[in-house]
Amino acid sequence: MIIGILTDWVRRSNKAERLWLLAKIEFKLRYYENKLGLLWALIKPLMDIAIYYVVFQTIMKQNVPAFASYLFIGLILWNFFVESTTGTVQILHTKKYLYEYSNMNKLEIYVSTLLSNAIGLFFNFIMFLLFFNFIERGTTYSTLQTLWILPLFINLYILSLASSLILSNIYVIAKDITQIWQVFTSFLFFLSPIFYKLDIFKERLPNFDYLNPIAGIIINARKATMEGARPDFKLFVWDFGYAVILLFIGIYLLNKLGSKAAEKL
Amino acid sequence: MTKALAIQAKSISKTFRISEDSHNTVKHRLFNLFNPPRSKRVEALKSMDFDVYKGECIGLLGRNGCGKSTLIKLLAGVYQSDTGNINIYGTTLLMNLGVGMSHELTARENIYVSASVLGLKIKEIDDIFDKIVDFAELREFIDSKIKFFSSGMVARLAFSIAVNAGADIMFLDEIFAVGDMKFQEKAIKVFESSWIEGKTVILVSHSMDTIKKYCTRTAFMKNGSLVYFGDTEKAVQMYIDDNH
Repeated sequence: MIIGILTDWVRRSNKAERLWLLAKIEFKLRYYENKLGLLWALIKPLMDIAIYYVVFQTIMKQNVPAFASYLFIGLILWNFFVESTTGTVQILHTKKYLYEYSNMNKLEIYVSTLLSNAIGLFFNFIMFLLFFNFIERGTTYSTLQTLWILPLFINLYILSLASSLILSNIYVIAKDITQIWQVFTSFLFFLSPIFYKLDIFKERLPNFDYLNPIAGIIINARKATMEGARPDFKLFVWDFGYAVILLFIGIYLLNKLGSKAAEKL
Repeated sequence: MTKALAIQAKSISKTFRISEDSHNTVKHRLFNLFNPPRSKRVEALKSMDFDVYKGECIGLLGRNGCGKSTLIKLLAGVYQSDTGNINIYGTTLLMNLGVGMSHELTARENIYVSASVLGLKIKEIDDIFDKIVDFAELREFIDSKIKFFSSGMVARLAFSIAVNAGADIMFLDEIFAVGDMKFQEKAIKVFESSWIEGKTVILVSHSMDTIKKYCTRTAFMKNGSLVYFGDTEKAVQMYIDDNH
């Protein structure tokens, strides 16, 4: 299937344009519909940061240096994952108009929706860089190691795409996957080192950073963007493998269950 | 005479399972593990083979419920065949009362999305954009969401996109019932003039005149089987006999 898509790409080069067009429209629909517009995409993580900051730094006194930045990078990556999974469980239903009347490849619908989320993440990341370099006190400036965020982002994108494919195709045969996934994500949220001090996380849940694929990405993203260090390569390769295996499962499910979406949903 | 294939169908069939109580949640499936749903099998399409060549205009006849819509959905790649396989060479567009349009998007966005799905590049869409808008007579509503449109307006927009953007293989399901009389005349005119030239068209219609006028070959279906596929006159006659 992947080879089929790639040859298609070469043959009909309007695919890249189409993906971008769909992503732009999706992005516009999400943010320009409400009064605050794009500003909302930036305010949301800032408000989340304020809440967690008060709870974990002021009340619980965790004493993580540069805690606001620490939260910032963790939360925007986590939010991308949640928006791309919880937000797309019903994608085969909401985007039915795209495949109901033509033989468009369904995978494009996923890729473009996640691309639209990536635009949001991009704006948030710029905000993070500004915050980290100019507002947060007691930190060094960003270094070239920050560029490691790109492969880490690709890892996150594949992981989110894979989860989205798996969930939304299960949705075709089991509608309550929506509720099950909501419970599971809140579980995963508290078991990811988003607001805990990393040492405590590693000590209390040994090897959990290997079990939870999103944890490794967040840990490595902090290393690259905040500490100016290289990511932990063992963890990086592990997470990448994790994402790719899930992607194959997702594509398998898309062919198996997703092909029946037009008649079942 | 060798012609390029547009659609190749080999022993395709489709059976729908219609269950009385829907087991479509995890909870339901778990609680009824040993009590599988009673389902009725409806054989919508019985095994059939045929080829459609590029540039042909094929008619499809049959009474209600004989499987016409299921067949065109299979051929358009929307449904998956249970058996056999279908090879589709090119993009497809299935058109009944609407083509795939989102009611949350404006007319302008829908034109771009639909035309892009049909395989056009953005630049090509820019070129035909005005033509689409003018043909649909929707110039002043171009930036309103189509959920505020009347059904006639949506249908006109869909028709206009299909006419101007067009896919390689078009499945037209009773499209001449769209819009008011003036628009219908326009639609028929454009259909006759240039539109279907070079395109592969599968036309579903209950109007014998339309089928006789345009179709080179016609298929007649009854109870999910392909009874006849060939000469248009003969297929029309079979359909008329079936109705009496």
